[in-house]
Amino acid sequence: MREPTREFEHGYTCNQVVELATDYVEHALPPQLVEPFEMHLNFCDGCFTFVEQIRTTAELGGRLTEEQIPEETKAQLLAAFREWQQR
Amino acid sequence: MTDAPVEERQQLDADEAALVARLRAGDERAFDDVVTRFYPSMLSVARGYVRSRSVAEEVVQEAWLGVLNGLDRFEGRSSLRTWVLRIVANTAQTRGVREARVVSISSLRSESEEPAVEPQRFRGEGDPFPGHWWSYPTDWRTLPESKLLSQETLDVVKNAIDELPEMQRTVITMRDVAGCDSDEVCQTLEIGEGNQRLLLHRARARVRTVLERHLDA
Repeated sequence: MREPTREFEHGYTCNQVVELATDYVEHALPPQLVEPFEMHLNFCDGCFTFVEQIRTTAELGGRLTEEQIPEETKAQLLAAFREWQQR
Repeated sequence: MTDAPVEERQQLDADEAALVARLRAGDERAFDDVVTRFYPSMLSVARGYVRSRSVAEEVVQEAWLGVLNGLDRFEGRSSLRTWVLRIVANTAQTRGVREARVVSISSLRSESEEPAVEPQRFRGEGDPFPGHWWSYPTDWRTLPESKLLSQETLDVVKNAIDELPEMQRTVITMRDVAGCDSDEVCQTLEIGEGNQRLLLHRARARVRTVLERHLDA
Protein backbone atom coordinates (compact mmCIF):
# COMPACT_ATOMS: atom_id res chain seq x y z
CA MET A 1 0.00 0.00 0.00
CA ARG A 2 1.22 3.50 -0.77
CA GLU A 3 1.91 5.85 2.08
CA PRO A 4 -0.51 8.75 2.15
CA THR A 5 0.93 12.04 1.03
CA ARG A 6 -0.15 15.58 1.75
CA GLU A 7 -1.57 15.69 -1.74
CA PHE A 8 -4.37 13.47 -0.53
CA GLU A 9 -5.93 16.07 1.59
CA HIS A 10 -7.23 18.77 -0.68
CA GLY A 11 -9.20 20.07 2.23
CA TYR A 12 -10.58 16.71 3.32
CA THR A 13 -9.36 13.89 5.48
CA CYS A 14 -10.50 10.34 4.76
CA ASN A 15 -12.71 10.17 7.84
CA GLN A 16 -14.57 13.25 6.52
CA VAL A 17 -14.81 11.88 2.99
CA VAL A 18 -16.54 8.68 4.12
CA GLU A 19 -19.27 10.76 5.76
CA LEU A 20 -19.97 12.55 2.47
CA ALA A 21 -20.03 9.40 0.35
CA THR A 22 -23.81 9.11 0.19
CA ASP A 23 -24.29 12.82 -0.55
CA TYR A 24 -21.81 12.32 -3.39
CA VAL A 25 -23.40 9.23 -4.94
CA GLU A 26 -26.84 10.84 -4.53
CA HIS A 27 -25.60 13.93 -6.41
CA ALA A 28 -26.50 15.99 -3.37
CA LEU A 29 -23.08 17.38 -2.54
CA PRO A 30 -23.06 21.20 -2.74
CA PRO A 31 -21.52 22.12 -6.14
CA GLN A 32 -18.52 23.85 -4.61
CA LEU A 33 -17.60 20.66 -2.72
CA VAL A 34 -17.73 18.28 -5.67
CA GLU A 35 -14.35 19.19 -7.12
CA PRO A 36 -12.35 18.93 -3.85
CA PHE A 37 -14.20 15.69 -3.10
CA GLU A 38 -13.35 14.16 -6.47
CA MET A 39 -9.79 15.45 -6.19
CA HIS A 40 -9.47 13.54 -2.92
CA LEU A 41 -10.81 10.39 -4.60
CA ASN A 42 -8.29 10.78 -7.42
CA PHE A 43 -5.45 10.67 -4.96
CA CYS A 44 -6.80 8.33 -2.32
CA ASP A 45 -7.35 4.69 -3.26
CA GLY A 46 -8.90 4.01 0.15
CA CYS A 47 -11.67 6.56 -0.24
CA PHE A 48 -12.19 5.73 -3.92
CA THR A 49 -12.71 2.11 -2.90
CA PHE A 50 -15.00 3.12 -0.04
CA VAL A 51 -17.29 5.06 -2.38
CA GLU A 52 -17.35 2.08 -4.77
CA GLN A 53 -18.25 -0.18 -1.83
CA ILE A 54 -21.16 2.10 -0.91
CA ARG A 55 -22.41 1.89 -4.52
CA THR A 56 -22.01 -1.90 -4.47
CA THR A 57 -23.91 -2.09 -1.18
CA ALA A 58 -26.81 -0.21 -2.76
CA GLU A 59 -26.69 -2.46 -5.85
CA LEU A 60 -26.70 -5.63 -3.77
CA GLY A 61 -29.78 -4.30 -1.97
CA GLY A 62 -31.44 -4.06 -5.39
CA ARG A 63 -30.73 -7.74 -6.00
CA LEU A 64 -32.63 -8.90 -2.96
CA THR A 65 -35.87 -10.60 -3.75
CA GLU A 66 -38.66 -8.43 -2.52
CA GLU A 67 -41.25 -9.95 -0.27
CA GLN A 68 -44.03 -11.36 -2.38
CA ILE A 69 -47.60 -10.88 -1.38
CA PRO A 70 -48.98 -14.08 0.18
CA GLU A 71 -51.74 -15.62 -1.98
CA GLU A 72 -54.11 -15.59 0.98
CA THR A 73 -53.63 -11.86 1.49
CA LYS A 74 -54.17 -11.23 -2.19
CA ALA A 75 -57.40 -13.23 -2.12
CA GLN A 76 -58.66 -11.21 0.85
CA LEU A 77 -57.80 -7.94 -0.86
CA LEU A 78 -59.51 -9.03 -4.04
CA ALA A 79 -62.62 -9.85 -2.02
CA ALA A 80 -62.50 -6.35 -0.50
CA PHE A 81 -62.09 -4.90 -4.00
CA ARG A 82 -65.19 -6.74 -5.23
CA GLU A 83 -67.15 -5.58 -2.22
CA TRP A 84 -66.02 -2.02 -2.85
CA GLN A 85 -67.29 -2.32 -6.44
CA GLN A 86 -70.74 -3.28 -5.16
CA ARG A 87 -71.16 -0.03 -3.24
CA MET B 1 -38.35 9.88 -11.55
CA THR B 2 -37.88 13.57 -10.87
CA ASP B 3 -35.04 13.51 -13.39
CA ALA B 4 -37.19 11.98 -16.11
CA PRO B 5 -37.58 14.10 -19.21
CA VAL B 6 -40.88 15.95 -19.47
CA GLU B 7 -42.24 13.71 -22.25
CA GLU B 8 -41.40 10.60 -20.24
CA ARG B 9 -43.01 12.09 -17.15
CA GLN B 10 -46.15 12.92 -19.13
CA GLN B 11 -46.23 9.40 -20.52
CA LEU B 12 -45.96 8.03 -17.00
CA ASP B 13 -48.75 10.33 -15.88
CA ALA B 14 -50.92 9.13 -18.76
CA ASP B 15 -50.21 5.46 -17.99
CA GLU B 16 -50.98 6.06 -14.38
CA ALA B 17 -54.19 7.95 -15.10
CA ALA B 18 -55.28 4.98 -17.24
CA LEU B 19 -54.44 2.59 -14.43
CA VAL B 20 -56.43 4.62 -11.89
CA ALA B 21 -59.38 4.71 -14.30
CA ARG B 22 -59.26 0.90 -14.61
CA LEU B 23 -59.18 0.51 -10.84
CA ARG B 24 -62.18 2.81 -10.43
CA ALA B 25 -64.01 0.79 -13.06
CA GLY B 26 -63.40 -2.39 -11.04
CA ASP B 27 -60.83 -4.00 -13.35
CA GLU B 28 -59.55 -6.94 -11.32
CA ARG B 29 -56.44 -7.42 -13.42
CA ALA B 30 -55.43 -3.84 -12.76
CA PHE B 31 -56.06 -4.41 -9.07
CA ASP B 32 -54.00 -7.60 -9.08
CA ASP B 33 -51.17 -5.78 -10.86
CA VAL B 34 -51.11 -2.89 -8.40
CA VAL B 35 -51.41 -5.06 -5.30
CA THR B 36 -48.55 -7.29 -6.46
CA ARG B 37 -46.28 -4.40 -7.43
CA PHE B 38 -46.90 -2.19 -4.40
CA TYR B 39 -46.97 -4.86 -1.70
CA PRO B 40 -43.19 -5.04 -1.03
CA SER B 41 -42.76 -1.29 -0.55
CA MET B 42 -45.99 -1.10 1.46
CA LEU B 43 -44.72 -3.77 3.81
CA SER B 44 -41.37 -2.05 4.20
CA VAL B 45 -43.07 1.25 5.07
CA ALA B 46 -45.36 -0.46 7.60
CA ARG B 47 -42.39 -2.19 9.19
CA GLY B 48 -40.76 1.18 9.76
CA TYR B 49 -43.61 2.04 12.12
CA VAL B 50 -44.65 -1.21 13.75
CA ARG B 51 -42.35 -3.71 15.30
CA SER B 52 -43.99 -6.97 14.50
CA ARG B 53 -44.15 -8.47 11.08
CA SER B 54 -47.72 -9.73 11.56
CA VAL B 55 -48.96 -6.29 12.66
CA ALA B 56 -47.22 -4.80 9.62
CA GLU B 57 -49.15 -7.19 7.38
CA GLU B 58 -52.38 -6.16 9.06
CA VAL B 59 -51.47 -2.51 8.51
CA VAL B 60 -50.97 -3.17 4.80
CA GLN B 61 -54.37 -4.87 4.53
CA GLU B 62 -56.07 -2.09 6.44
CA ALA B 63 -54.32 0.48 4.27
CA TRP B 64 -55.77 -1.18 1.15
CA LEU B 65 -59.25 -0.55 2.49
CA GLY B 66 -58.23 3.09 2.93
CA VAL B 67 -56.93 3.11 -0.64
CA LEU B 68 -60.22 1.77 -1.99
CA ASN B 69 -62.22 4.28 0.05
CA GLY B 70 -60.07 7.15 -1.16
CA LEU B 71 -59.61 6.11 -4.78
CA ASP B 72 -62.39 8.33 -6.10
CA ARG B 73 -60.72 11.30 -4.47
CA PHE B 74 -57.20 10.55 -5.73
CA GLU B 75 -56.20 13.58 -7.80
CA GLY B 76 -52.83 12.49 -9.12
CA ARG B 77 -50.89 15.23 -7.39
CA SER B 78 -48.37 12.58 -6.38
CA SER B 79 -47.75 9.22 -8.02
CA LEU B 80 -50.25 6.50 -7.18
CA ARG B 81 -47.60 4.57 -5.28
CA THR B 82 -46.57 7.60 -3.18
CA TRP B 83 -50.22 8.21 -2.34
CA VAL B 84 -50.70 4.56 -1.39
CA LEU B 85 -47.53 4.56 0.73
CA ARG B 86 -48.71 7.71 2.52
CA ILE B 87 -51.90 5.86 3.44
CA VAL B 88 -49.81 2.97 4.77
CA ALA B 89 -47.77 5.37 6.92
CA ASN B 90 -50.93 7.05 8.26
CA THR B 91 -52.57 3.72 8.97
CA ALA B 92 -49.48 2.52 10.81
CA GLN B 93 -49.30 5.71 12.86
CA THR B 94 -52.89 5.42 13.98
CA ARG B 95 -52.37 1.87 15.22
CA GLY B 96 -51.78 3.33 18.66
CA VAL B 97 -49.04 4.88 20.68
CA ARG B 98 -47.36 1.65 21.65
CA GLU B 99 -47.02 0.14 18.21
CA ALA B 100 -46.70 3.28 16.15
CA ARG B 101 -43.71 5.51 16.10
CA VAL B 102 -42.76 8.80 14.57
CA VAL B 103 -39.30 9.97 13.60
CA SER B 104 -38.15 11.79 16.67
CA ILE B 105 -35.46 14.42 16.48
CA SER B 106 -33.52 12.60 19.18
CA SER B 107 -33.44 9.37 17.18
CA LEU B 108 -32.16 11.23 14.14
CA ARG B 109 -29.55 12.98 16.23
CA SER B 110 -28.19 9.83 17.79
CA GLU B 111 -28.02 8.30 14.34
CA SER B 112 -26.25 11.34 12.95
CA GLU B 113 -23.49 10.99 15.51
CA GLU B 114 -22.73 7.43 14.52
CA PRO B 115 -19.65 7.34 12.28
CA ALA B 116 -19.94 5.54 8.93
CA VAL B 117 -16.64 3.75 9.56
CA GLU B 118 -15.16 2.69 12.90
CA PRO B 119 -12.85 5.48 14.12
CA GLN B 120 -10.02 2.97 14.73
CA ARG B 121 -9.71 2.57 10.96
CA PHE B 122 -8.26 6.08 10.76
CA ARG B 123 -4.97 7.52 12.02
CA GLY B 124 -5.18 9.56 15.20
CA GLU B 125 -4.26 13.11 16.10
CA GLY B 126 -0.60 12.31 16.91
CA ASP B 127 -0.01 10.81 13.46
CA PRO B 128 1.53 12.85 10.63
CA PHE B 129 -1.61 12.05 8.62
CA PRO B 130 -4.46 12.34 11.09
CA GLY B 131 -7.84 11.20 9.78
CA HIS B 132 -6.36 9.03 7.01
CA TRP B 133 -6.89 5.32 6.62
CA TRP B 134 -4.55 2.96 8.45
CA SER B 135 -5.30 0.35 5.84
CA TYR B 136 -7.51 0.73 2.82
CA PRO B 137 -10.78 -1.12 2.33
CA THR B 138 -10.41 -3.94 -0.18
CA ASP B 139 -11.53 -3.53 -3.75
CA TRP B 140 -14.61 -5.73 -4.14
CA ARG B 141 -14.40 -5.44 -7.91
CA THR B 142 -11.46 -7.87 -7.76
CA LEU B 143 -13.66 -10.53 -6.19
CA PRO B 144 -15.07 -13.24 -8.43
CA GLU B 145 -18.66 -12.40 -9.31
CA SER B 146 -19.65 -15.84 -8.02
CA LYS B 147 -18.66 -14.68 -4.54
CA LEU B 148 -19.86 -11.07 -4.64
CA LEU B 149 -23.26 -12.02 -6.03
CA SER B 150 -23.64 -15.35 -4.25
CA GLN B 151 -26.81 -16.20 -2.37
CA GLU B 152 -24.69 -16.26 0.77
CA THR B 153 -23.61 -12.65 0.24
CA LEU B 154 -27.18 -11.57 -0.52
CA ASP B 155 -28.32 -13.28 2.70
CA VAL B 156 -25.69 -11.27 4.59
CA VAL B 157 -27.11 -8.07 3.06
CA LYS B 158 -30.67 -9.07 3.89
CA ASN B 159 -29.84 -9.92 7.51
CA ALA B 160 -27.85 -6.70 7.92
CA ILE B 161 -30.85 -4.69 6.67
CA ASP B 162 -33.19 -6.56 9.02
CA GLU B 163 -30.98 -5.62 11.97
CA LEU B 164 -31.04 -1.88 11.25
CA PRO B 165 -32.96 0.62 13.42
CA GLU B 166 -36.51 0.99 12.04
CA MET B 167 -36.20 4.23 10.09
CA GLN B 168 -32.86 3.29 8.56
CA ARG B 169 -34.31 -0.06 7.56
CA THR B 170 -37.37 1.56 6.03
CA VAL B 171 -35.37 4.10 4.05
CA ILE B 172 -32.80 1.63 2.67
CA THR B 173 -35.52 -0.90 1.83
CA MET B 174 -37.59 1.70 0.01
CA ARG B 175 -34.62 3.17 -1.84
CA ASP B 176 -32.32 0.24 -2.60
CA VAL B 177 -34.60 -2.80 -2.48
CA ALA B 178 -37.93 -1.41 -3.72
CA GLY B 179 -36.36 1.21 -6.00
CA CYS B 180 -38.31 4.24 -4.73
CA ASP B 181 -36.81 7.65 -5.41
CA SER B 182 -35.89 10.06 -2.64
CA ASP B 183 -38.98 12.26 -3.16
CA GLU B 184 -41.20 9.26 -2.64
CA VAL B 185 -39.44 8.38 0.60
CA CYS B 186 -39.58 11.97 1.89
CA GLN B 187 -43.27 12.33 1.11
CA THR B 188 -44.19 8.95 2.56
CA LEU B 189 -42.26 9.29 5.78
CA GLU B 190 -42.75 13.08 6.01
CA ILE B 191 -39.08 13.72 6.48
CA GLY B 192 -36.82 16.26 4.81
CA GLU B 193 -34.40 15.52 2.01
CA GLY B 194 -31.41 15.92 4.34
CA ASN B 195 -32.77 13.50 6.92
CA GLN B 196 -33.65 11.02 4.23
CA ARG B 197 -30.07 11.07 2.98
CA LEU B 198 -28.69 10.83 6.49
CA LEU B 199 -30.78 7.76 7.26
CA LEU B 200 -29.78 6.22 3.93
CA HIS B 201 -26.13 6.98 4.62
CA ARG B 202 -26.20 5.39 8.08
CA ALA B 203 -28.04 2.37 6.71
CA ARG B 204 -25.72 1.79 3.76
CA ALA B 205 -22.66 2.38 5.94
CA ARG B 206 -23.80 -0.24 8.47
CA VAL B 207 -24.61 -2.76 5.76
CA ARG B 208 -21.25 -2.05 4.11
CA THR B 209 -19.45 -2.76 7.38
CA VAL B 210 -21.21 -6.11 7.75
CA LEU B 211 -20.47 -6.95 4.11
CA GLU B 212 -16.82 -6.06 4.58
CA ARG B 213 -16.54 -8.47 7.49
CA HIS B 214 -18.12 -11.18 5.37
CA LEU B 215 -16.20 -10.57 2.14
CA ASP B 216 -12.79 -10.00 3.75
CA ALA B 217 -13.06 -13.11 5.91
